[in-house]
Amino acid sequence: MDDNLLEVRNISVTFKNRYGTLKALDNLSLNVKKGEILGLVGESGAGKSMTGAAILGLIDPPGHMSSGEIWYKGKCINDAHEAIRGREISMIFQDPLMSLNPLRRIGDQLLETILTHMNVTKSEAIKRARKGLEEVGIDPNRLNSYPHTFSGGMRQRVVIALALAPEPSLIIADEPTTALDVSVQAQILDLLKNLCKERGTSIILVTHDMGVIAQTTDRVGVLYAGRLAEIGDTREVLTNPKHPYTKGLVDSTPRIDANSFYKELYQISGTMPKLDAMPNGCAFHPRCEFAIDKCSKETPQVFSDRAACWLLENEAIVE
Amino acid sequence: MSFVQAKDLTREYDLSDPFIVRTIAMRPKRILTAVDNVSFSIEKGTTYALVGESGSGKSTIAKMAVGLLKPTSGSLLVDGKNLNDPFLPKEEKLALRRRIQMVFQSPYASLNPRWKVGDIIAEPIKAFRLINDHASQINRVHELLEQVGLSTSDVNKFPHEFSGGQRQRISIARALSSEPEIIICDEPTSALDVSVQAQVLNLLKSLQKEYSLTYLFITHDLAVVSTMANKIGVLNQGKLVEEQTPENLFSNPKKAYTKMLLNSAPNINF
Amino acid sequence: MERFFKSDFFYDFLRAPVAIISFCVVALLVLSAIFAQFIAPTNPFDPASLELMNGFTPPMEPNMFTGDVFLLGADDQGRDLFSAILYGLRISLFVGIMAVSLAMVMGVLLGLIAGYVGGWLDNLIMRLADIQMTFPSILIAMLIFGVARGLLPPELRYEMAITVLIISIGLSEWVPFARTVRGTTMVEKEKEYVAAAQLIGLKRWQIMIRHILPNVLGPVLVIATITFALAIIAEASLSFLGVGAPRTEPSLGTLIRVGQDFLFSGEWWILLFPALTLLALALAVNLLGDWLRDTLNPRLK
Repeated sequence: MDDNLLEVRNISVTFKNRYGTLKALDNLSLNVKKGEILGLVGESGAGKSMTGAAILGLIDPPGHMSSGEIWYKGKCINDAHEAIRGREISMIFQDPLMSLNPLRRIGDQLLETILTHMNVTKSEAIKRARKGLEEVGIDPNRLNSYPHTFSGGMRQRVVIALALAPEPSLIIADEPTTALDVSVQAQILDLLKNLCKERGTSIILVTHDMGVIAQTTDRVGVLYAGRLAEIGDTREVLTNPKHPYTKGLVDSTPRIDANSFYKELYQISGTMPKLDAMPNGCAFHPRCEFAIDKCSKETPQVFSDRAACWLLENEAIVE
Repeated sequence: MSFVQAKDLTREYDLSDPFIVRTIAMRPKRILTAVDNVSFSIEKGTTYALVGESGSGKSTIAKMAVGLLKPTSGSLLVDGKNLNDPFLPKEEKLALRRRIQMVFQSPYASLNPRWKVGDIIAEPIKAFRLINDHASQINRVHELLEQVGLSTSDVNKFPHEFSGGQRQRISIARALSSEPEIIICDEPTSALDVSVQAQVLNLLKSLQKEYSLTYLFITHDLAVVSTMANKIGVLNQGKLVEEQTPENLFSNPKKAYTKMLLNSAPNINF
Repeated sequence: MERFFKSDFFYDFLRAPVAIISFCVVALLVLSAIFAQFIAPTNPFDPASLELMNGFTPPMEPNMFTGDVFLLGADDQGRDLFSAILYGLRISLFVGIMAVSLAMVMGVLLGLIAGYVGGWLDNLIMRLADIQMTFPSILIAMLIFGVARGLLPPELRYEMAITVLIISIGLSEWVPFARTVRGTTMVEKEKEYVAAAQLIGLKRWQIMIRHILPNVLGPVLVIATITFALAIIAEASLSFLGVGAPRTEPSLGTLIRVGQDFLFSGEWWILLFPALTLLALALAVNLLGDWLRDTLNPRLK
């Protein structure tokens, strides 16, 4: 697995509260290759933001990563998070208002990031900061402006410049365009995609929007109730989903096409289980129209490197 | 005349500095036109979708439609009556309010966290004096809960015990309790997950069929609009730029803004 | 009730030693005050029961003239200090609770109106608050007390002393309530459930009381607890300064004032025990209030 930049191996994140232990992530494994864009899609509470936080070691107590390992560039980084954060792995958050300190000029924030992570002189850092702004499409002379003078989309560009400044190998983007208008969203996603392809930077793009996944990612992982449901090439997963949940998600996404005008949307019955009321066996089986007996008894493993579903068991054996 | 008729609806906000500052610094007045001469009509029993990005004025129009905001000029008539008419007698105004209801965007802020769900749904019934004896009120609340897919035992629970999608259902039950004829849906599913969105949209559609409801559906999501609307109006910075049926809008958009919106919408189709 | 004991709040309470101890201290003092008649050996307010010869008796030592023994000693007029403290606690607690209630009702109402109605009314109320905040609350209390005393005919002055005390302390403490409630009201006002209430034609006052009030009361409890401690100290200060509870119906503050006169002539107990009681009460209430604020806070998020 040499072209894997990041390997998440069987991690579990647990929280203790007065009633017991809750598993926010349960035995999750995935990998990110060099230079690829991996999408992490799931609904609220599925654990996608938690995965990003686990990789960076940003989980707040009382939660903690109770098992599993995170391997980065061939080394285990479970205890090395501080050094890795910021320089090698960057993060972009959802709300640009909260990522930028409103009391500091953007130039100061950029310089601080560059000087912290890279061994350069101040004048060299300023040069890099200006270049960074140019690359995200902002006039470099605006280094001295405050965040509130920018619109939402432009602030997110600044945040992207901040994330790219230390020349990371991996960026975790947690719903970077959810708070933005549709037209701006497309621009930001294209920008992110192009900049990363140019540099060979990998991205983990966390989102709940299937359309964003379709247009931006190379591979996609589908999370459900803290577990991985399906992972694979984006086009393949969306056009030919192997896990019933993925199929349900894809079918219930409204589309703009002539066939769907005023028709009823496909809907998955029920709701995602709460962490303290997880069903036995497969987390999805109570809502699954294809469930077999085994589904309610044992938790499925990932078959064919593709989906965690007992229906695939026989296919795997055949292969 | 159509059931809902908006004519030259305009809403301006005066953002000017105070008079003294203006005179001394010789600055002009600054007027923000949130809604600029918008006109549309909705036939009874149909869904009209208003699509726009932030700042397009769609939420302002929604507020004017329910009488929470007064237009600067122009009018929005429901069944020929104007909610913002200062000469409308109190009883008529209340009767008109009963016929127009709203479902809001945020499932978290639209229900009073300190009220029980049963009381939230019963409030309009009491306010409009639709049912006067207590036992029948409770029955009606039970009926409404079941209609939106919740159970009667939910009556004594508080909003925080429910998920986002369930809270929107409670909102819908509350809107239905006044037996309205038109419901303004202000981005009712924007804060919901995809699978929950599908459930709520389907619920809205089936209720429309059952009660011949008229919907003014506000959203920024073109894909959602394509499954819900009979007619679509595209808003850009306060102006209504285009108005078409879904088939025409998606296959043959006329204005550049509409085309831009269609192109940027992330589409799950490859 | 059952729901309370199963709640997260009670769970946290049982795990905070500070909260448990403070609560027990407060409960002990309050119960002692309520049942003072049954616990106290004498009635210190009844001048007829006093024996001047008992004056200055030290704690737990028989008086050389009468042979009476006092648990915590006797003051200069022969009053049993233990009884005086218990009855004095009553006055301190009564004034404290009533003053806080007055401040709370006034502050919450003004805050609601300022926050919801806004405009010039909001400005007026907030400027009044600002003006009041520039003066120390003791001074304001003294001012109101003095004015009230001046307005009342002499016969009523004695009887109304406690009432005037309550009003003057209450009126000096409404601002924190009003400011906090105003802030929360302004936030809640923008929420959609308020719009939903407006949609069904509810009047402004109906929305304020039925919908907004239940949601702004959270921080009010914490402020009330802390203000209660302040009120007790204010009452003690006023009594200490001589403008509060009179000598014949002394509160803790009055007792402290009296004791202060005799501290350096050796009769230390007259000052020490009332002071310790006041300290215990104020400290316990403050700690309880702090804990309440911390526990209730993250949940508000």
